[in-house]
Amino acid sequence: MEPIRIDPARALDEALRAQSKLAAGMRTLREVEDVDYGATDKEAIYREDKVVVYRFKGKNKPTAKAPILICYALVNRPYMVDLQDDRSLVKNLLALGEDVYLIDWGYPDGADRWLTLDDYINGYIRRCVDAVAKHAGVKKINLLGICQGGAFSLCFASLHQDKLQNLITMVTPVDFHTPDNMLSHWTRGMDVDLFVDTLGNVPADLMNWCYLTLKPVRLNQQKYIGMLDILDDKTELENFLRMEKWIFDSPDQAGEAFRQFIKDFYQGNKLVKGGLKIGEREVSLKNITIPVLNIFAEQDHLVPPSASRPLGEHIGTKDYTQLAFKGGHIGIYVSGRAQREVPPAIHHWLGERTR
Amino acid sequence: MADTARAFEDWQALSRRYWDAWNDATRNAFATSTQTAQADALPWHEGLEQWSRMFSQAGSQSEIVERLLTGAKSYFALLQSMAAKSANGSDAFDAKAWTDTLRESFNFPGADASLFDNPLARALREVAGKGAKSIEELSKGAEPWMREAQTLLGLPAFGYLREHQEHYQKFAQAMLDQQQQTNRYNALLARASGRAFELLEDKLAARAEPGRQIDSVRALYDLWVDAAEDAYAEIALSDEFREVYGALVNAQMRVRKHVQEEVERVATDLGMPTRTEIDSMGKRLHEVRRELKQRDEVTAELAALRAEIEKLKGASGKAKASAKRATKTRKG
Repeated sequence: MEPIRIDPARALDEALRAQSKLAAGMRTLREVEDVDYGATDKEAIYREDKVVVYRFKGKNKPTAKAPILICYALVNRPYMVDLQDDRSLVKNLLALGEDVYLIDWGYPDGADRWLTLDDYINGYIRRCVDAVAKHAGVKKINLLGICQGGAFSLCFASLHQDKLQNLITMVTPVDFHTPDNMLSHWTRGMDVDLFVDTLGNVPADLMNWCYLTLKPVRLNQQKYIGMLDILDDKTELENFLRMEKWIFDSPDQAGEAFRQFIKDFYQGNKLVKGGLKIGEREVSLKNITIPVLNIFAEQDHLVPPSASRPLGEHIGTKDYTQLAFKGGHIGIYVSGRAQREVPPAIHHWLGERTR
Repeated sequence: MADTARAFEDWQALSRRYWDAWNDATRNAFATSTQTAQADALPWHEGLEQWSRMFSQAGSQSEIVERLLTGAKSYFALLQSMAAKSANGSDAFDAKAWTDTLRESFNFPGADASLFDNPLARALREVAGKGAKSIEELSKGAEPWMREAQTLLGLPAFGYLREHQEHYQKFAQAMLDQQQQTNRYNALLARASGRAFELLEDKLAARAEPGRQIDSVRALYDLWVDAAEDAYAEIALSDEFREVYGALVNAQMRVRKHVQEEVERVATDLGMPTRTEIDSMGKRLHEVRRELKQRDEVTAELAALRAEIEKLKGASGKAKASAKRATKTRKG
């Protein structure tokens, strides 16, 4: 049989439907306000330079014994975990009785050009962890690292495990040299010294361009053709625009930290090969003996599952749990499935270890 | 407001003309060549342009309209090509003819001729990031420098302006190298585009089974996107791409560095601070702040230790006093 059976009348109907959506878009695009984000009330409990630690306020008092501190990546903004009312990891964790804090890295500028990974991990993260423990009145807290923030959290746990009760990593790259890791593949031919010496801080637009070129047609064309379908639906359009805002609301990257992250993680793969030093001390995943929950996304194009899975082979703990989520790098926070599956999985896993 | 309303009416009228013509052409399976020619002559892409112009003052929404427009152009071109193909098609299925139609639909009127038959390169060009564009803008801005430098490239540098001459020579070499690396990169994208159509033919062959046939233009477009991404991934994950990509990025950085050096030279001549000087001060300041933080922490640690010692001293003093009292009581 012929693989294509497109009826001319149907093709015309498709065209007419697309045209009527465009007409509707005239109205809806003008009606939508500048989209906002952040569904949950929060208060700042610690500030240092551009870094702020927030504590989210739930409707009820938390019942968990130890708080969770979310450590997000330096790329993109952390409000992805609390995007909107019906898409919020934070809100769902609060509803389950967790006490949730978050590190907001802010937008680095020229003054942050010389921040190193030592400054971020042994400096900011350590002081944020101390601030959360003090605020919550506990000695140890739970750390939840996301993406690059997950890699930072692994380093932190290796160096300062005495401050942590449990560690959760989400969509976190561990083995950076798996064959399907396109980003890593590309960075290995780069002269990162020349790159940072020339650019200083790495511009957000350049980072975004790089991410878009991972899937150029899907992310740059098909997505916007898909937008035609929702041009007549104000709510869906607002959801789309909110996501669009998040994708392109990216901070510049502090030059020195970027240099070291590319060299040691992407090019050197030192998290698994060894030899990674943060400040004066060597990081070893074998040092981590506290319970670890590793959650990754099966359709992740930025951090392929093959990059996250090896954590279990390299980590020192005997209490290691792995959770594969059916979705992508973003879907793990915002999809309907994520709302149903991820917060309860975290809550249940923590509950078994802190009762 | 009145302008917007009028623009909307104009756009609707233009759209109506276009779709009426297509309605006639596609609903009539025996469409005459004149009817199809009339439909082809109508500027569908002009309708989209007109639509987008109505959002030119829409602030934050205008960029997203631009992106939507860019995608919609390809899709509408595909709709038009496919509708014509369906209306005029013969009974026998010809995968190559369909993929050719698909390929041509990406070469729509107004598209950059250098990107014809290379939709992947176009998709990359359409990534509207300042970081990506700035390199091209930089190259354009540096063209006068380039022309000057090229004339000096073959000459040995000597004399009072030797250093400047050598700088221009290196700059020109960097520009040439960037162009070469860009060409190598574009060649790989062209290869990926060609491969995308081969993969599409394979994917179409797999759709010949009953129940899996493509029955809409959108489904065909989505299948093409799958093929394009698969082809791109094949190339992008190759060792050759890694080498070319790295070489391109490094070449771009070398050009940028030369521009920065030139700007700094002019700034120095004008008595203005340079980026290198500011960086140097920033680095020193950062080191001082880091030392201060470490001292603050050591001071806090010392204070905590002192407090602990005082507490221990207090506890030990109390213990001694109570022991003394106990001895006295026993003696008494």
